[in-house]
Amino acid sequence: MTGNNSAPEVHADNPMLEWHDLTVAYGRRPVLWNVDFEIQDPCLFGIIGPNGAGKSTLLKASLDLVQRAGGTVRFWGQRLAEVRSKIAYVPQRETVDWDFPVSVMDVVRMGATSRLGWFRRGGKRERELALASLDHVGLADFAKRQIGKLSGGQQQRVFLARALAREAEIYLLDEPMAGVDAGSQEQIFSILAELRDQGKLVVAVHHDIRTAAQWFDAIALVDMRLVAAGPTAEVLTPENLTMTYSGRLGILDEIGEAVERRGRTS
Amino acid sequence: MIALTADTTFMSWLDSIGPLHGWAIATAVVVSACCAIVGTPLVVRRMSLLGDAISHAVLPGLVVAVLLGAQPGGIGVLVGATAAAMVTVWFTRFLYRQAGLWEDASVGVSFTTLFAAGVLLVTISGSRVDLDPGCVLYGILELVPFDTVDLYGWDIPRAFLSASFVLLLVSCGMWCTWRWQLFTAFDCDAAKAAGVPTVAVTVGLLVGVSLATVAGFVAVGAILVVAMLVVPAAAAERLVHRLHHAVWLAVMIAVVGAIGGYLLAWRFGTSAAGMMAVVLGVEYVIAILVAPDDGVVARLVSKLVYLWRVQCEDRLASFWRAEESGYARHESTVGGLVDRWLRVNGQVQKQENALVLTPQGRVNAEVIVRSHRLWETWLGRHVDLPVDHLHPPAEWIEHHLGEQVRKRIENELGNEDVDPHGSVIPREKR
Repeated sequence: MTGNNSAPEVHADNPMLEWHDLTVAYGRRPVLWNVDFEIQDPCLFGIIGPNGAGKSTLLKASLDLVQRAGGTVRFWGQRLAEVRSKIAYVPQRETVDWDFPVSVMDVVRMGATSRLGWFRRGGKRERELALASLDHVGLADFAKRQIGKLSGGQQQRVFLARALAREAEIYLLDEPMAGVDAGSQEQIFSILAELRDQGKLVVAVHHDIRTAAQWFDAIALVDMRLVAAGPTAEVLTPENLTMTYSGRLGILDEIGEAVERRGRTS
Repeated sequence: MIALTADTTFMSWLDSIGPLHGWAIATAVVVSACCAIVGTPLVVRRMSLLGDAISHAVLPGLVVAVLLGAQPGGIGVLVGATAAAMVTVWFTRFLYRQAGLWEDASVGVSFTTLFAAGVLLVTISGSRVDLDPGCVLYGILELVPFDTVDLYGWDIPRAFLSASFVLLLVSCGMWCTWRWQLFTAFDCDAAKAAGVPTVAVTVGLLVGVSLATVAGFVAVGAILVVAMLVVPAAAAERLVHRLHHAVWLAVMIAVVGAIGGYLLAWRFGTSAAGMMAVVLGVEYVIAILVAPDDGVVARLVSKLVYLWRVQCEDRLASFWRAEESGYARHESTVGGLVDRWLRVNGQVQKQENALVLTPQGRVNAEVIVRSHRLWETWLGRHVDLPVDHLHPPAEWIEHHLGEQVRKRIENELGNEDVDPHGSVIPREKR
């Protein structure tokens, strides 16, 4: 199952997440080409690919964090702005400064920030929700700790708790298992599986192909374009993996450069 | 000015300060508070350099506003200066994004250019504008009380009024947008994804910075206002671990700097602006010395405590090894500091002019030796090291193995009870 027209099911109404011919460029240079796929039902969905394949870019483009050069993203057939409160995003752990002066509780309470307007500071319910989320990831005892004092796995779980505090329907996570010890990985994964069982969609960028096979229900193999996507067993074939990991597609690189230079390929 | 003689008491010295100095101090306090409030988010967002840029680049805006007829210290000046600050920020982004200049260099290019333009404007327009280059650069705090406006029969210094207005503005703004400020400062991408208007939040902060800067001009001038923006916040960040605590602490540090700096400057007859910045610098040094976790003193103490613990543990272990090899008593000079400490703590006792382990000391010593030999065994199994290279790493790691880890190593090693040198690994007494 390869190529862009590889949706696992026949087109039905309002898939939970839909990338329609999505192309992303940094500056003028396209780095992710024509991703076209939809995720119909709640599942644990992995985005897998080599370094620099555009996995994180795919998530960021879905959330309007980077400019799209073309194509659209729809959640339940709607634009991001209309359904934002139902979507939670967990960025890569390295993107924030962990020496920042905030407590664990402060970070988790950020999950509810967007629901609050200008003047509202959040009340008892919000605090309880934040505490419950912390408890869920097993860090209730760390609420008052400064975030820099936590281990990598604990920091990642704080991020997860912040997403849980959003009470969202779709969770987009960027490398939630990176730099995380084996124990925390298991714990994070079981929480994600729990969310899936509650009927939520969990999309996670992941780099480790071995654990991906056992964790995810469905997978998208990405290397500057969507190589294949669908149920894990069908997608993880030797041919697909070779196509994803066998090195750059010289043509896409060359055309990208030509677009950047506004020239022609040789 | 009244000279301060040695026999003057503090109270009468305060009396002698009088209302004029009172106004100057009050203005300095309000201005410092403004700068600390907006400076703290700026510093934790690692945007201090941009704050420096803004504080310089508001100058041309200020001059143009005055040329267009705005009262110095009035609203028109605030607007003009803020506009200039926004131009700087935009110009910096432009150089960075479009002209391919490094971010720090683009800040350097944009603000020096605008500041220089401002200096030129001041000197060219000389007679037409009531702005003295010296005042703009170094502040005119001492002259603040003489430029007053009549407010319901009270003579209030104009600079104090406008600074208070700015304080009201920035504290309200910060209070209303606090959650957004915090989220954006910590994790801009997630904030944006969650629907926080991060661009507006950042621009709002920078507008606050330029307002505080304009207020700060009066007190300390364009060159030193960056000290009031950055230093209190940097000091507070070392001392507390939550952003709103940092803001409050920064305000307190700034206020101490303002009052202390002014009084000291007056005492020694020198520049108030310079002295305030120096006091802030001293406060920062104190902060890095006494910071609870990573302060110089705290680090030194924890290092000394560690070194002392290592000394004691090594000594205890040497007693144990002596016993193991058959010497009932450890032949040693009695009276070293470590020995005395161990005796006071009941780890060793004197027996016929020699020291021997007490039962408690023996248990503790055994733990050290056990850690040492467990680690040697573990290393021998997992790392390709010659047997005679195993001792030094174990000598170090023995001080760091807790009970949990010892248990894990023990489980992994199975019933191995002899270390690679052939010594018996003592059993743990639980």
